[in-house]
Amino acid sequence: MIDHKPKIILFQCQWCLYSAEDQTWVDTQLPVNIHLVKVPCTGRINTLYVLNAVQGGADGVMISGCLPEQCHFKEGNLGARRQLDQFADFLDHIGYERNRVRFTWLDLQDRGRIQRDLAQFEADLTKMPKSEALATRVGGHHD
Amino acid sequence: MTDLESKLTAEIANLLDDKKVDVFIAFKKAESPLHPQPAFFTESNQLGDFVYNSLCQNNLAAFIPRYPLSARIGMVVRGCENRAVNHLVVEKQHARENIFMIGVPCEGLVDWHKLVNRFGEEMIAVDEAKDEIMISYRDRQIRAPRQELLHDSCLRCVHPNPLSADVTIGELKPEGDPTLARTEVAAFSALDNAARHAWFRKEAERCIRCYACREACPMCYCTECFVDHGVPRWTESTVSPAGMRAWHIVRAFHQAGRCVSCGACERACPMDIKMTYLTEKLNEDMRTKYQFECGMDDKTQPPFAAFNLDDKNRFEL
Amino acid sequence: MSQILPKKNLKQLLSNWAASYEIYAPQQLEKFAHFMPTNGSELLYIDEQHNTRFPPKALFLPQSETLMKYTRFGAAQETIPESKPRIVFGIRPCDAKAVDLLNLMFLTEKDSDPYYQARRKKTALIGIGCNIPCPSCFCTTVESGPFGRQGMDALLTDLEDIYLVRTLTQTGKTLFAEYPEATEAQEAEAKAVQQRSLKLIDPAFETKGLKAKLDSNFENALWQKFADSCLGCGICTFLCPTCFCFDIADEAQRKERVRNWDTCMFRTYSLEASQHNPRPTRRERTRQRVMHKFSYWLDHVNKIGCTGCGRCVRYCPVGLDIRAMLREFNQLEAEVANG
Repeated sequence: MIDHKPKIILFQCQWCLYSAEDQTWVDTQLPVNIHLVKVPCTGRINTLYVLNAVQGGADGVMISGCLPEQCHFKEGNLGARRQLDQFADFLDHIGYERNRVRFTWLDLQDRGRIQRDLAQFEADLTKMPKSEALATRVGGHHD
Repeated sequence: MTDLESKLTAEIANLLDDKKVDVFIAFKKAESPLHPQPAFFTESNQLGDFVYNSLCQNNLAAFIPRYPLSARIGMVVRGCENRAVNHLVVEKQHARENIFMIGVPCEGLVDWHKLVNRFGEEMIAVDEAKDEIMISYRDRQIRAPRQELLHDSCLRCVHPNPLSADVTIGELKPEGDPTLARTEVAAFSALDNAARHAWFRKEAERCIRCYACREACPMCYCTECFVDHGVPRWTESTVSPAGMRAWHIVRAFHQAGRCVSCGACERACPMDIKMTYLTEKLNEDMRTKYQFECGMDDKTQPPFAAFNLDDKNRFEL
Repeated sequence: MSQILPKKNLKQLLSNWAASYEIYAPQQLEKFAHFMPTNGSELLYIDEQHNTRFPPKALFLPQSETLMKYTRFGAAQETIPESKPRIVFGIRPCDAKAVDLLNLMFLTEKDSDPYYQARRKKTALIGIGCNIPCPSCFCTTVESGPFGRQGMDALLTDLEDIYLVRTLTQTGKTLFAEYPEATEAQEAEAKAVQQRSLKLIDPAFETKGLKAKLDSNFENALWQKFADSCLGCGICTFLCPTCFCFDIADEAQRKERVRNWDTCMFRTYSLEASQHNPRPTRRERTRQRVMHKFSYWLDHVNKIGCTGCGRCVRYCPVGLDIRAMLREFNQLEAEVANG
């Protein structure tokens, strides 16, 4: 259990939230413990971004993108799914638990789902101990 | 000169004399007993220093991307080097028709780390027989079983034979046991997160960031590496935990689906850092998730370059 | 005059020193020797006849060093290290000489590097000679030797169960003040060990006239030949005890300005902001390493910038051997400057 709210980095594809209300909520009303990084497509998310988030002390990383066949750039999300999923497995291999990296692939009908998924993710992370593996820049202090 | 060396010399001399290749990449004798030196023969009369033995630790395919596509290159290849060449062809780093490979079924490489750590730095010569390694000092000689000194990657090697060499010299070896690598990865994965993390830290934080692993790797041919960037700075430039861990993570991950398990990275490392526990994990995932093994032919794209809609139902939604 | 330090007293001596000094000594890291802090309780790794793999220059010029910290609002604070008195125990003659050479670069009369100075000034070097040199050692070729004393405060000679201590400075004398003087027989024994060791090292190349030959063969095709085999990794230079090139960078996320070792082997070495690089290929970079040690050092301080420790020879992953390279230049003629 951790006593404060877990720090979450949300990488969001700018096309994946089909409802304007969801996008407005993400843009303006995200809780302070969730940091938004908006990207033009999940295919733009370099694994180094995820690594930087993890080294910066993120307790969890969420990546939201479009379903296959719904990618604004045709197939950016397909490459991203393969790579980022593998990267999460790889981070687990060296000690950053697999369930700290989560994906939410959103459909046209998924109104409000991003809020539910983030809430669920936060609840799950709260049950886990603070992430220490790989964090090298936590709260301005370094090891 | 061993029997194999004389056969190879004759073959290479023919290639050079017939002008079938512009340059032949192989090894020559160096003063250090542990490191024969990569050599670039252009005339058959240079072959006097030619040497080929189990101490030839480099993966010669690492030199291929230095040449223009039109250069006709000859090479002596073992199983892993042949696979590396294949994959370089997939990644269009050279044209297959411009590479002439003389294949040699591989007995496994003798790891200089294991030699030095066990026998010290005072060795003046290292010779090999079938199953034995003879280590000479100024005043005495020691013998050790070859098997104990082989590099870890060679101990778990699956394909010691060249797969697509133009000529093969020597008798083919039996294929290796594919479960060995799998068992090692599984044993590491079975440790708990804290233990895996502790191991990773212990290894990565000995790093001196000399990038010998990168330069020795046939797949690390990027002209600008992410650690060389000043702007944007992808990771810390220092030998801090952050910088060293990021280097080891990203170096390994960039090899996902591109690593031929030759172990050249580990053999080049001056600080005895283990790295193949990272790349073998990725190789194992590529085999199980995508049925892909790097370098088995010179056509198939690696999984991260060959995504398709069949992935639709593969991941959690 | 020499003194005697029984080996069994070594731990006690180190722990006595530890009360007022930070002590660094070779210990086992993985399977090799590495300088690490000790208070006398750790097992030392100095009876091995070979050197530490990583050079002790890092104790004076760390691979990465913070020069200053700054804030978003323009305040900056230099971070010159607080220096405690230190002892580096078990340093080999080649490495001690290398530290002495680094002084020429960082502790000049006109201009001293405060970071280096803070570490160097308060550090005593207690060396140990090499009874059996490695085949890759060539200290005798470059004006040093297996029992060279340059840069040290005291030199130890290993005589089975005792060390014969030769103190060389006032600091050295103070550190070993309590130990008895050696007998004449022991002195003679040490001398014999030293001479036997000296005979084991053959001259590796000719240094006389080498600079002129290097200078006049700056464009020789040999450089390309060496560069062909070179991988371009930093092993030879990072493990070198005298290489001191560094690069200053800003680590904005940490708000620190840092100094990292740089190496002429990297493609980013001397790369300019415009992307122009005066040393664009491996040829120029391989040449830079050799020329720096055997020509430019002579221009600057009239000393060869190599101490013959042999690390670059032992650990080069492609077996490039600076001794063999220089022998090839020995064969060439120096051009006579005309006019």
